Amino acid sequence: MGSEVSDTRQQEIQKSLDRLTEILSGIVVQADEQSLTRCPYKNARDECTAQFGCRNQRKRTVEGERRLVCVGDDKLDYREAWDSDPESVKKAGDALAATRETGRRRRDARRRKSRTGRQKRKSGHRTSNAGRRTSNAGHRTSNAGRMARQAGQTLFDLADELSKQVPTSCGRSGLCHECIVEVHRGMDALMPRTDPESFLEGNYRLACQAAIIEPGSGIEFSPLRRVPKILTRGRRRRVDLDPMVTRSGDAVHYGGRPVDQYRGGIYGLAIDLGTTTVVMELVDLESGETEHVCAFGNPQRIGGSDVMNRISYDGKHRRELWRVVANTINYEIACMSDRFGFAPSEIYETVVVGNSTMRDLFFRLDVQSIGTKPYKSLTEHEWQQGKRESTALSASARRLGLKINRNARAYSPPLVASHVGADVAAGLGVIDFDGDERTVMLVDIGTNTEVVIRHDGRMLTASCPAGPAFEGGLVKYGMPGYEGAIDRISFTGDGFDYTTIGGTAPQGLCGSGLVDLLAELRRHGQISAKGVFAEKRRREMTLVPERNITFSREDASNLAQAKAATYCGQFILMRHLGLTADDIDKLYLAGAFANYIDIDNAVEIGFLPGVPVERIEKIGNAAIQGAREILLSRRHRTETEQLVRGIEHIELETTPDFFEIFVEACQLKPMPGKPRYWN
Amino acid sequence: MAVLADISNEFIREEIEEFLERPEEVGRSIGLFARVTPKMQEIAAGIIEGEDDIVDELTRAALDEGIDALEIMDDGLIAGMSIVGIKFRDAFIFVPEVLACARAMKAGMAHIEPILSASGIKSLGTVIMGTVKGDLHDIGKNLCIMMLRGAGFTVHDLGVDVDEDTFMDAVEEHRAPLLGMSALLTTTMPNMGKTIEAFIDEDLRDDVKIMVGGAPVTQKFADDMGADGYGKDALACVSLAKSLLEERAAQGV
Repeated sequence: MGSEVSDTRQQEIQKSLDRLTEILSGIVVQADEQSLTRCPYKNARDECTAQFGCRNQRKRTVEGERRLVCVGDDKLDYREAWDSDPESVKKAGDALAATRETGRRRRDARRRKSRTGRQKRKSGHRTSNAGRRTSNAGHRTSNAGRMARQAGQTLFDLADELSKQVPTSCGRSGLCHECIVEVHRGMDALMPRTDPESFLEGNYRLACQAAIIEPGSGIEFSPLRRVPKILTRGRRRRVDLDPMVTRSGDAVHYGGRPVDQYRGGIYGLAIDLGTTTVVMELVDLESGETEHVCAFGNPQRIGGSDVMNRISYDGKHRRELWRVVANTINYEIACMSDRFGFAPSEIYETVVVGNSTMRDLFFRLDVQSIGTKPYKSLTEHEWQQGKRESTALSASARRLGLKINRNARAYSPPLVASHVGADVAAGLGVIDFDGDERTVMLVDIGTNTEVVIRHDGRMLTASCPAGPAFEGGLVKYGMPGYEGAIDRISFTGDGFDYTTIGGTAPQGLCGSGLVDLLAELRRHGQISAKGVFAEKRRREMTLVPERNITFSREDASNLAQAKAATYCGQFILMRHLGLTADDIDKLYLAGAFANYIDIDNAVEIGFLPGVPVERIEKIGNAAIQGAREILLSRRHRTETEQLVRGIEHIELETTPDFFEIFVEACQLKPMPGKPRYWN
Repeated sequence: MAVLADISNEFIREEIEEFLERPEEVGRSIGLFARVTPKMQEIAAGIIEGEDDIVDELTRAALDEGIDALEIMDDGLIAGMSIVGIKFRDAFIFVPEVLACARAMKAGMAHIEPILSASGIKSLGTVIMGTVKGDLHDIGKNLCIMMLRGAGFTVHDLGVDVDEDTFMDAVEEHRAPLLGMSALLTTTMPNMGKTIEAFIDEDLRDDVKIMVGGAPVTQKFADDMGADGYGKDALACVSLAKSLLEERAAQGV
């Protein structure tokens, strides 16, 4: 009898549940239909409820309340706000297939390896209680890692074994592209590139994807970051504290608007995005003090060593260069924050400088227009068309992928013109370029060398694509200013004397060493002005026999061309204004490697004009210094924006006799005192 | 014939007046709410407002007073949900509001379920649900959860941005026969594959049926990543869950 009652009740309950299901089904069907015309994350007040920072979200004040509203167009498929273009769908599919394949390979290898058969993980745990099981979770990853390492190992696994630090934030799934490594030896011992690596060229791989075919075959690789030992801080000037970000009681204000609660510190980050080296300076905006400076190789070298290569790379693999540099900057910020005990959310502004390409890549702009005539940034085109007031940029740091305060802004001073970028604009601010009456020249030496001259109220600029020869590229034993780089070298008659950075065993030569070498070889008749060795048929000479460091005619020729670019820039600008080296009252040399250059040697090979040495001032990294001053002073920011408006850009290549000058410039000899090609 | 004034709860009266347009629905709702006790009207109001703590409290209090669980479910929770369904259909509220109501419904059902199962209504099975690592989208997954719960499944919701270990721990801890993963981005969909690989690596794959869904996911992708089933929407999710469990039973696990 009892069960009969229970049966009726069960039926009643079931009936209720069915009715609920019916109601819910109606809702779900309706939700599905509605989502075709209205984003499901939008609520009845048209607010966006999405937690994932949808790109159509905007903060608006509605009826006196700050609300997240949706500005998406519901008539379109709202899913455009996410990420569903066919190409990325295909990529995702490929990644899935790759994951499965790697997993299968790994397990096969493991199976072959262990003759005793698989140890069922669960056999040990199933009987134990739930709490115990959960607490064991921590071990799982390391177990799995260990097994993977036995065979079908990836470069990442190898790095783990060697305790090498390789960054990642996607759990080694090939998605974050942070674990790019450069393989110096043993590319052949690796499986071919997987689909997640399709954006990489040359010897670059993703450590998490590159599976090793033959373990123990002497693979050498390094993560993209390497810290140069040459850190130049430039001139430290006192700056009147007037930053954009200020504290007002318990609040932090940006340009007078409250943006956050005071968390215990207000910091700004100055970033100089060099083609080869990135320098960052963390500045306490309350005291004006620099808290920390760090520098690292620009990881964008995966897209080539010079600006033009990177532009074409960005055309093929849009935003990869942005991503790789933003990732690296975030990594460095996290490291700084760990070491110096501040929170990344206490950084409220970053001032970013760099040449036009580096800067625009960072601000996620299309850089293709910089790669074709008339070589101008989109912002410069827009400025000339009157569509924007200045080429200065300001954007939400979060939009640029920086993990700092969520309301932080990223600012870049204007570009000077064409390739002559925001780094030079910042640098000019440091030397009071327009405050001086004399004839002043600034030469900022780097992968792209920039020259600016002011004379008699006229200001000219030019950009010289020198390339990376003096910074470790194109020269067999060339290297950036890392530990072990020869920074000074002289010829002794039967060999060479040298010093190295850090005093360690020599690994190669950095820029200052290469300038010394060329000048010494010239001085002692070991090489002709055309770069031919004294023994004419010789292709290569030995510099450091015990380390096998050599120098070839090809190296000399690459350096000569790099030098020639710098020569042309200075020479043509001076000629435009009818000036010779003697007329220059002040020559400022900027750039990290300029600080270490021997001036006599540089003049000897025609790297610099023969300006009397006492008129030359090395100012180190003027760009980062300028970025710092812009962080600290709003007045400085406005002045820099004003200054660049008056600068005329000279396109070197359009000079009628450019080719003749360039050929002359390639010779390893001093610049003529009286220009030979006088107009 | 009951009239609007017969309903004691002012909020319910206003809701019916303001949002119900079809005469047969107005009539049915007035009839329903005029019949039920003020306490049940209050619970229904809590559901309509999407106030989960209020529903939680009122339901517990009602059970403590000895009110029958079935009455609470019918006259409180489901009665409220029927108004929610109508308001949603007629575009007075939207998905985020509906999900808040569903949450309130769950808060009430949490007290009812033990009593129902004592009456012999068993859970259809335990399902672990979550959005994969790197992905913060949750609406599709939440609609699925709403449907699964409504259909009688016990669901453990791991939320968004769930990594492999958390999925594995949850499956083990709850001995769940079924796992549902959601991904809304092409960039995070591959993490479904990663998670399945992790289950294989840990020899847990045979213990659980895995179903997947989300905007970029298709039957083909589901096959490619080695999932057991793909559901195109929340309705499909329920029938998929049922059939996967049957499959599992047939395999004698």
